[in-house]
Amino acid sequence: MRYFLRRAGFFAATLWAAVTLNFLIPRLQPGDPAEAIVARLSGRSQAIDPAQVAAVRTMLGAPDGTLLTQYVNYLGAVLRGEFGVSYTYFPYPVTHMIGQALWWTVILVGVTHVLSFAVGTLLGAWAAHRRNTRADSVITLGSTFVGTLPFFWLALMLIYLFAITLNWFPARGGYGPGSNPGWSWIFFSDAFQHSVLPALALLIVGPIGWIIGMRNNMVQTLGEDYARLARAKGLPQRRIALTYGARIAILPNVTGFAMALGGILGGTVLVESIFNYPGLGRMMLDSVTNRDYPLMQALFLFITIGVLLANFLADMLYGVLDPRVRREVAA
Amino acid sequence: MALLEVRELSVTYRPRDAAHVHAVDRVGFDVDEGEFVGLLGESGCGKSTLGNAVLRLLDKPAAISGGSVVFDGVDVTHASEEDLRPLRWARISTVFQSSMNALNPVITVGAQFDDAFRAHDAQGDAAALMEMVALDPDVLRRYPHELSGGMRQRAALALALALRPKFVLLDEPTTGLDVVVQRTILDRLRELRAELGFAVLFISHDLGTVMEMADRVMVMYAGEIVEDQPAAAMLTRPLHPYTRGLLGSYADPRAAEVSVDYVPGRPPDLSREQTGCRFRERCPVAVAACATTHPPLAPAGPGAVRCVLGGDLPEAGQARAFSPDRPELTTTAPGEPVVSVREVVKDYRVRRGWRTTVTRAVDRVSFDLRPGRVTALVGQSGSGKTTLARLVTGIERPTSGTVAFGDLDVGGLRGRRLTRYRRHVQIVFQDPFAALNPTRTVGYALARPLRNHLGLGERAAVEKAAELLEAVGLHPAEQYLDKLPHQLSGGQRQRVVIARALAPEPSVLVADEPISMLDVSIRAEILQLLDRLARDRGIAMLYITHDLLSARLLADEVIVLRDGRVVESGPALRVIRHAEHAYTKLLLDSIPTLTRTL
Repeated sequence: MRYFLRRAGFFAATLWAAVTLNFLIPRLQPGDPAEAIVARLSGRSQAIDPAQVAAVRTMLGAPDGTLLTQYVNYLGAVLRGEFGVSYTYFPYPVTHMIGQALWWTVILVGVTHVLSFAVGTLLGAWAAHRRNTRADSVITLGSTFVGTLPFFWLALMLIYLFAITLNWFPARGGYGPGSNPGWSWIFFSDAFQHSVLPALALLIVGPIGWIIGMRNNMVQTLGEDYARLARAKGLPQRRIALTYGARIAILPNVTGFAMALGGILGGTVLVESIFNYPGLGRMMLDSVTNRDYPLMQALFLFITIGVLLANFLADMLYGVLDPRVRREVAA
Repeated sequence: MALLEVRELSVTYRPRDAAHVHAVDRVGFDVDEGEFVGLLGESGCGKSTLGNAVLRLLDKPAAISGGSVVFDGVDVTHASEEDLRPLRWARISTVFQSSMNALNPVITVGAQFDDAFRAHDAQGDAAALMEMVALDPDVLRRYPHELSGGMRQRAALALALALRPKFVLLDEPTTGLDVVVQRTILDRLRELRAELGFAVLFISHDLGTVMEMADRVMVMYAGEIVEDQPAAAMLTRPLHPYTRGLLGSYADPRAAEVSVDYVPGRPPDLSREQTGCRFRERCPVAVAACATTHPPLAPAGPGAVRCVLGGDLPEAGQARAFSPDRPELTTTAPGEPVVSVREVVKDYRVRRGWRTTVTRAVDRVSFDLRPGRVTALVGQSGSGKTTLARLVTGIERPTSGTVAFGDLDVGGLRGRRLTRYRRHVQIVFQDPFAALNPTRTVGYALARPLRNHLGLGERAAVEKAAELLEAVGLHPAEQYLDKLPHQLSGGQRQRVVIARALAPEPSVLVADEPISMLDVSIRAEILQLLDRLARDRGIAMLYITHDLLSARLLADEVIVLRDGRVVESGPALRVIRHAEHAYTKLLLDSIPTLTRTL
């Protein structure tokens, strides 16, 4: 219980620090969003009229007052869940925009993450079980090879092959022009078709880390005295591989996985940019290029909370899985 | 037909990027039903590899490269893994070296018993087995990390006996455990064997335990068995000069005169082709024929020996001996103390769950260290020995009491003054393999303290480093300066560690179990070196050990610690020969004795 409280306290402190940094960092960046908007609206070469800037500022509800009052107002707003209005998607509130993008990312990245972890861990365990055989070499060398390929190149190859040459799947976007987001069969099948290529790209690269991690951990555990003793005990191969190998080797991978889940909220900037996918990653990129402070801040905060929560989850999960830390957790 | 028949067994390590090593070379022996056989040898002689080969547990790159192992009529070497399964544990089981790692850390002890029962469709009463090794059946519900080293090892023994095997292979079952804990396990093992009648192959580097436990002892050297005869006969008349050297390295610390031998040199490199006798370079009685003849294991006396001399060792040509030679020790110590420890207390706070518990590691301990004198701190693990060493070196500060170096209060030193103090107090660590940076040469390791503490220039530091190497018996020094730690043997590394400790010309040397990781045959050599350095250079030495024999050999004064308190102290001779406190007696009684076999 104490352990739990301590972890929770740590969680709260980190969260506060993250919120504060999140407030400060965009303000330390050079440039003024209102000026940027005005400049864009009026064409880059013209001089900017201060009155115009002031008007845009008022419209956007840009911050006033000292840094401290801004900070206090900001904290209050965060607590109420108000993140303001997006500058670029005016007049939609930031939360609305995030809510829209969130599902695209959670489904695409979430599903591929889980699948990658499952496939990667299984393949890694299989390679370790058959260590120093041809199967092991194929899995290990193959994943190392694929892991060295640049991701964007792989993604472009997929687009070239399946979208342009074979024309099996659409190359970009979350859904086609013929369908509108809603609870309709047409939309879902369309969205699925659009998600195949980005998902494929993620699934090719995703399992590699898990394969290598799992294989190496498990080869090590299988070389430990307890695994040798299990062989001496005449236990069936399966039992040795599972209880004396995989069961122990998976522990660091589980932590890694729980932490990787936090990254889902950030989406994958690269994959979403390449496939022009309407998820959080692309939205983040856009918000940065457009100096859309409210959206940017909300997104960063979102990601931070996601990572922190995932860390917290990983700590708790580890306690359940590994009796060596459980005592401390239970205490 | 014997229970276990090993014939011409060879094991070769074939690493991908290094020379092949013939770790076990055409070894043959039998173990009869109910027989207790000891396999004695030093690190790297191939004894554990042989054990793993018998169990068919070798992992790549090691593999059986010839010969056979037949157990109970089954050819273990050529059977498939599936054919071996019914044999494993049900008839042939094992206990590994005591360590956390012999039991699966993520399942309960009980689950590991169930595993064994289920794999062999056997019914068994794990609780009864636990009681057999004097453990509470409640232990079955616990995880390995919740048990002490001794409890884990007893659980492992109970597990090995779960299916009532005919044969148990014990590979260093008590190494790393306390003498007292070792004693309880060995006694239990002897009783259980009498009751259940299983045969044992007991692999160990510890002469005392092997001689005490085994009916018959085989001595292994450089991948071969060099002697094989009943333990009692081996004690009175060893047939091989190596065995004689090993026996000489052992002595009863309570005897009136104590002297231990050592065998200088190191075993041959088994990745090379061997000609002649493999022991000849270390042999004190070698003759011309040894260089050309590779002697067979031939019958001699009541057993067999692999020696050109055929078991008739000349009296002369003992291995070199070290016996403490110093003036009467009972007189009051000369000289002012260099370090005075007074009423020192050290508490550690451990936060666990809700509570913060305070553990008192050291409780009101006082002693003095004097120039040219060796003070031994003796006790079991957890008795506070190492904490005291840390207090003396200034790594830890006492909770109360003082550690004084002259008129300097060590506990109050900080920053640069602490660094300056460290020049005077140096440490020799336990593990010579971990104490040297593997990527730096010996010359660098020695030059560092010379330049830091003495402010020598590069040229002067190298010259001084060479001098130090000569002083610790590594000569010619030029040959060692550019070597990396992995190119040296354990004994040579420990000499380098000692040389490094001597570099800043300290007045106090703290030696924390400096010989416990070394091979038995060379321990006395290092003890002799430490002894000479302390006497010749007038260094005050704090010698930390659990081994009373070495304390007797090296120390002038002995302090026996238990749970952080001094239970007995005084001149080494008196404390060890005429121990007064029950705890000191317990420590002494726990030492395996050779005479028990006679």
